[in-house]
Amino acid sequence: MNRREVLRSAALVALATPFAGNRWTMALAQDGARIFTLAYPTGFPDLDPATSFSNDGAVLANVYESLTRYIPGTDGAPATVNPLLAESWETSADGLTWTFRLRAGVKFHDGSDLTAEAVKGSIERTITIAGGAAFIWYAVTGIAAPDPQTVVFTLSSPQPLDVIAASGFAAWIISPAALDKDNAWFNAGNGAGTGPFTLDRYEPGQRVILNRFAGYWGGAPEGGFDTVAFEIVEDAVLDQSMIEGGQADWTYGLPYENLEALQANPDLSVLVNPSFETLFGMYNTKRAPLDRPKVRQALSLAFPYDDVIMAGTSGMGSRAMGVIPNGIWGHDPAAPVPNTDLDAARALLAEEGLADSGLELVMTYATSDQLESTAGELWKANLAQLGITLTLQPMAWEAQWQLAKADPATAQDIFVMYWWPTYVTPYDYLLNLFHSEESPVYNLGYYANPAFDALIDEAATLSGTDRARAEAMFIEAQRMVIADAAAVFMLDKPNIHIIRSDIKGYKDNAAYGHVVFVNDLNR
Amino acid sequence: MSVLRRLGLGGSLGLAVILTFALLAVAAPLLAPYPGQGMGDPNVTAKLTPPSAEFWLGTDHLGRDLLSRVIYGTRVSMSAGLMIVAVSLLVGLPVGLLAGYFGGWVDEALMRVTDVFLAFPALLLAVLMAAALGPGLLNSIVAVSVTWWPWYARMARAEVLVLRGQPYVEAARLMGVSHPRILIRHILPGAARPLLVQAALDFGPALLTASALSFLGLGVLPPTADWGKMVDEGRKFFPDRWWVSTAPGVAIFLLALAFSVLGDALRGREGGKRDDPS
Repeated sequence: MNRREVLRSAALVALATPFAGNRWTMALAQDGARIFTLAYPTGFPDLDPATSFSNDGAVLANVYESLTRYIPGTDGAPATVNPLLAESWETSADGLTWTFRLRAGVKFHDGSDLTAEAVKGSIERTITIAGGAAFIWYAVTGIAAPDPQTVVFTLSSPQPLDVIAASGFAAWIISPAALDKDNAWFNAGNGAGTGPFTLDRYEPGQRVILNRFAGYWGGAPEGGFDTVAFEIVEDAVLDQSMIEGGQADWTYGLPYENLEALQANPDLSVLVNPSFETLFGMYNTKRAPLDRPKVRQALSLAFPYDDVIMAGTSGMGSRAMGVIPNGIWGHDPAAPVPNTDLDAARALLAEEGLADSGLELVMTYATSDQLESTAGELWKANLAQLGITLTLQPMAWEAQWQLAKADPATAQDIFVMYWWPTYVTPYDYLLNLFHSEESPVYNLGYYANPAFDALIDEAATLSGTDRARAEAMFIEAQRMVIADAAAVFMLDKPNIHIIRSDIKGYKDNAAYGHVVFVNDLNR
Repeated sequence: MSVLRRLGLGGSLGLAVILTFALLAVAAPLLAPYPGQGMGDPNVTAKLTPPSAEFWLGTDHLGRDLLSRVIYGTRVSMSAGLMIVAVSLLVGLPVGLLAGYFGGWVDEALMRVTDVFLAFPALLLAVLMAAALGPGLLNSIVAVSVTWWPWYARMARAEVLVLRGQPYVEAARLMGVSHPRILIRHILPGAARPLLVQAALDFGPALLTASALSFLGLGVLPPTADWGKMVDEGRKFFPDRWWVSTAPGVAIFLLALAFSVLGDALRGREGGKRDDPS
């Protein structure tokens, strides 16, 4: 008798069952060695510090260092840029020349000294390869090393180079001995940084092992870790069982719905912080009926902001005040964003002659993104009350993006995606998402407003010299986008990390996403 | 009662389960406690409620009653299974008839085409097709049917090869009856019967494959209720909220098991013709 159908149907149920694999109970734990284990839910596609542009930053940030480090603002304190490999820096009055003084006594893992030539070489290598996030240096026209401790950058336009140098991508400084190495060498598990840990072993798709670098300039904290193990586990259910079972010390990416139970677990700390990641839907401003601002405003008034935060993130997300999230300079806590108000939406639609018009709209979003799907389903229910049918079309990201880039006349009505900055500046959000473009790349609502373009371009050139004025201009520009309802600003994602309670010294830094600076920690 | 005696206890139970699900599918708006939620209306205040008197099977991540969702999901699963089998039959049967009857280069050409499709693992090909076409119920039905029809073509051809040499067919040919007439009047009835039995047996595997596509995010568009998709939605909460995946998972299991048991009962009577295409 053929039982295959039976087994196969049982397998669908079994897939939902967590199973604790023992692949992760590694033979690593030698006596006395202190190991920090991260259950990391994604792989590390590129460990080349010049081209890395993904979660690989989690590894690189412990092996390499940049000139500066960005510390996000909190409610009490403004954001700051802290010294790292650079001890101090200054800019000329026109913002076109930046001089960095390097920290003395810094060694690379291969024993060579950190010099101005090494910094120049690293950044020039990144610019020459021109992959990943190398564009952050686009304004740099020259790098000079007048003496071993001084690096001078000349720029074509004023830019906040201290912030750019703090980027989590494309800003790592590597040893002169590694300058001529290719991408394959780095991805074979070789490292050449100044960071507190050396890259010891890399098994793609499986794990990365780092060991403490004895010659680290910053030293090690009392009770600090000797070894860092990134265990790549791409299943949230398994990540959760690892952190609950003590096989991992840190993880993220667990479903919001499960966090309540974890919060009640005394062995775990669930840290909820704002992230720089914001979710929004761009309206197709090039096609009727969404080419009319009032229709777009009506749709935004029908969006169930609070319900999506409750249902989609278990209340841990926060209202998006425009597109620039909390913690980034240029965030506008008093932004005039709409609240859910179906009566006001209905009135606006009536004004536009679209009362119960049977309007049909298509929203595209990324397949299997639960939060986007939830936002769409709840919005759809509200719009149905206004006589609008919203079709939710999940697509593979590439397909979703291609459709949107091709021709606004045949594209989606609403394009849903997340955005987070490469380096911390409001210009990154406003330029990519709303600056008019000949052929769209990320401005997938095709918004075009010359006054807006001029304002943010001018603000960008001011941000190297007069940040306060630049900030005011960015806020003004963002209010234009809100008034025009170029997009519906759904929510700011929370940055949630789960750590074992016995880990001390942990601080989230939203500027670097899901990165742990392990040298700050001890047990 | 003679039908039930012929099916035996297992087959009868299977038939009963299938008829029950069919009733649920047809009368979903009357039987579901919350028809609106069954069709997708969110109810966020009751998010992830465990099974209770109010929600017999609990609620999902948008607070929708899972019993209603499962009942509405029956419609998708049953119609997906039916459509897949019907489309495959409509394509596979004529192809097999032509190949078997005319033989020669027609046979070669058509059978090589089926070989191309059969060369891929069925589920993998379905996943590739569904990914290329994009999510949607119709697309997933097309995707699975593409992997399904060659089996029917092969089977129809084998039947025709036997029937073609039968004296009554040769007699018809000698009397000058036209090819289409011979095919439709004299061969089709004989060839179709085992295919129809096989199609009935394939119903279960077809709906399982469709559920698998949904589970992978390649099936229906939200907020339509679909068992495979519901299992996927609940999968991540499983350690703490077991009921979200369990309800649709058990439904898939029961219906597929019922088809399998009924199929065994039928196959026992017909004599095993071939293995199923999965």
